Amino acid sequence: MASGFRDKVAIVGMGCTRFGERWDLGADGLMVEAFAEALADAGIERDQIEAAWVGNALDDINVGNSALPAAHALRLNRVPVTRVENMCATGTEALRGAAYAVASGAVDIALAIGVEKLKDTGYGGLPLRTKGVQNDLWMPYGSAPGTFAQLAGAYAARHGIDAGDLKRAMAHVSWKSHQNGVHSPKAHLQKAVDIETILKAPLIADPLGLFDCCGVSDGAACAIVTTPEIAKALGKGNPVTIKAIQLCASNGWELQYGEWDGASVPNTRVAAGRAYAEAGIHDPRQSIDMTEVHDCFSITELVIMEDLGLSEEGRAPADILDGRYDRDGAIPCQLDGGLKCFGHPVGASGLRMAYEVYNQLQGRAGERQRGKVDVGLTHNLGGAPFNSVAAVAIFGRLD
Amino acid sequence: MQIGITAVGAYLPALRVDRKAMAREFGWSGLGMPRAGSRAVAGWDEDTLTMAVESARALAATAPDALRIASTSAFYTDRAQSAIAIDALALPRSVRTTDLANSRRAGVTALLDALLAGRDEIVIAAEKRLTQAGSASQLAYGDGAAAVRVGAAGPARLAGYASHTHDLVDRYASVDHPTPYAYEERFVRDIAVAEIIVPVVREACAAAGIEPAQLAHVAVAEPVGGTWAAASRKLKVAAPNHCQAVSEKAGDLGAAMPLFGLGLALAAARPGDHVLVLGFGSGADALVFEVTGAITGTDQFASALDQGFRLASATRFLNLVGALSLDWGMRSEFQQKAQATVIERVGRDMIGFVGGRDSTGNVQFPKSDYPVNPALTRPEKLEDVRLADLEARIVSVTADRLNFTPDPPFDFGLVQFDNGARVLMELTDRPEKGFAVGDAVRMRLRIKSQHRELGTRTYFWKAAPLARPELGEA
Repeated sequence: MASGFRDKVAIVGMGCTRFGERWDLGADGLMVEAFAEALADAGIERDQIEAAWVGNALDDINVGNSALPAAHALRLNRVPVTRVENMCATGTEALRGAAYAVASGAVDIALAIGVEKLKDTGYGGLPLRTKGVQNDLWMPYGSAPGTFAQLAGAYAARHGIDAGDLKRAMAHVSWKSHQNGVHSPKAHLQKAVDIETILKAPLIADPLGLFDCCGVSDGAACAIVTTPEIAKALGKGNPVTIKAIQLCASNGWELQYGEWDGASVPNTRVAAGRAYAEAGIHDPRQSIDMTEVHDCFSITELVIMEDLGLSEEGRAPADILDGRYDRDGAIPCQLDGGLKCFGHPVGASGLRMAYEVYNQLQGRAGERQRGKVDVGLTHNLGGAPFNSVAAVAIFGRLD
Repeated sequence: MQIGITAVGAYLPALRVDRKAMAREFGWSGLGMPRAGSRAVAGWDEDTLTMAVESARALAATAPDALRIASTSAFYTDRAQSAIAIDALALPRSVRTTDLANSRRAGVTALLDALLAGRDEIVIAAEKRLTQAGSASQLAYGDGAAAVRVGAAGPARLAGYASHTHDLVDRYASVDHPTPYAYEERFVRDIAVAEIIVPVVREACAAAGIEPAQLAHVAVAEPVGGTWAAASRKLKVAAPNHCQAVSEKAGDLGAAMPLFGLGLALAAARPGDHVLVLGFGSGADALVFEVTGAITGTDQFASALDQGFRLASATRFLNLVGALSLDWGMRSEFQQKAQATVIERVGRDMIGFVGGRDSTGNVQFPKSDYPVNPALTRPEKLEDVRLADLEARIVSVTADRLNFTPDPPFDFGLVQFDNGARVLMELTDRPEKGFAVGDAVRMRLRIKSQHRELGTRTYFWKAAPLARPELGEA
């Protein structure tokens, strides 16, 4: 049986730009900004990078396709560069590629970088794109909030919960992330918002209002990974290591087969189960100190809490309202503001989540620092609940 | 062999606009508009093809020898509606197809030609005509379709007919002037009555061996109001004109008008009655039927007239009829181009809504080499299963207000069929309360997407409520 990632790969440097409406920078500048921070953090020179994975989901918006935009922007030294794309799970996919390279022994030091320049669309929200010329003949062109909004009605139906009660729990999710965003200097949105404002916001896709939706942002984030041995040689005494990275891609079961009730994201459950096994975690509620999850919409975070096994089935609304996932709760979620407030430059988000966990594990999160953090989890979700790529990663220290 | 009508079908879009309320919106202008009754308004995703198919679904369970579609407002000018309809109705490609156009009379002309051909045929007429804001025709016209199946031993036998060709320019539309250009009503009425309608009805009745006064029901498409009243006085016909009810409740349906009126007339007729249908435009075709028994589908006509939703917004009405160009913003710039190669490869399964049944009996859409059923691990050939005529229920749904659609919101969700098939679908004919998880739905053929610059559109099925509410008297 495969032994997995656990403690085979260390993260020695990370960088993350300020997310938001970065009218000042293109994709190249964003990558340079994140990369400079990571190099300084790692204490290495650019040309020590032996291979790179660049994650970018919407290449036609500023960035450009293939490996070349990253190779050019960072003037990488003619090393192998691979572009990966797995919708909103792209950032974690880039990290997975770089980590595989190190874990396999193919290279000593690899770079994972994710970037997105969404604000060059000229309008709010994610752009519509073709689903392929064959799927275009039948598949609806719903917006991202439209696809995730459907979780709400299905969740309410599954658990017999009142739509108003569910909406209040969803509002708390966004309220909490706005509270956290205030302490996150690189976040897109750094302003607290009260519950009433959230509840009364204009509808985007029933029942999601404006504040149930995450920011659509520009940004880049990156990680430099190596072996634990090299990490120690670089002066990282007890380096941050990857305990697990698992990915689960839909095969059409949710979309085409009549079993799933639409009230959860089954792939998250599969990926989480594999990740817990890989990391040796038997009781996530006890073992995981914090999470950064894919809160593209408030209802998504709500069902993720159950999909990750952190809330019992049907208990997520109550747990959320009880403050279980607040900054001072039992398992804080989105200490940096999450997608909701830190922002969501698609290809960078998975690495941004890892960036927060990485800093929390090292006690470097400033005002946001959540005491001693030993284990952190990121959950990065691409696509729609009915057709998704779910990535779950777990990070800790080597010893 | 006695050829006659064997079945009929009707379709009207769900929306109705009240003429008086809309005319009031234009009151400041002093422009003359009809104020009585209401008109049927097609949804943004309906056109002559979708309505034609909807009207013919119930009478296309078996393949006819031929299918004809008549319309003056077909979207494509060089892509046959009848050919697309063959795939949408999942009929074999051996069915002979014909499109007729360029005259409101084409619906009745097609029916006459089908009857004279002496075969099993489906004849459909459908209209969604472009009109100009402020014109009387914008409120007088309506959108809709009607279908007739003819064949041996049909219980409405063609007893006699007559045709007159007469280039009376009562109104016209052209490539350069696609909205109607209409001449003075008194001129049109006088000439139409004296030179066209009275002579052609007399001749048709004579061919049927009856006097006009013996007509029990008529369906006469009038060029202008009062035409039939004047003609019927001269002809001494007391029978009601069933097209009048269509005008009042749905509007002038153009090529579909006489066929829709014929459906109502056949619903009211008793065995032994003689029924006249008259198509007007560049002359007239008058057909006299002798009814010998009940005809399938006649009940659809009255319910189509009486069910639907009121449309109160003047700007929404103008938007739907294409008389108002709104700035929908950058999100509306995305357009889809359907590739002919893909349509050739899978188009018949798409527009026919044909999924596949695997070896365990589970149905899926679309078909695939590896079945989606987790119990199956190897590729297999799936058996065709048409989903278009099945009911389903909603698993998850939202009203998307971010996604661009010409008539917000954009309703879509997962829809589950009892046979196992699950499809992510758009929803249409939105009820007042919207859609909810668990709602039962039926399938409707609609426009899926359109590429405005390239002038193309694709069609697919959307989920709609099982039934429409009664419009009532309001």
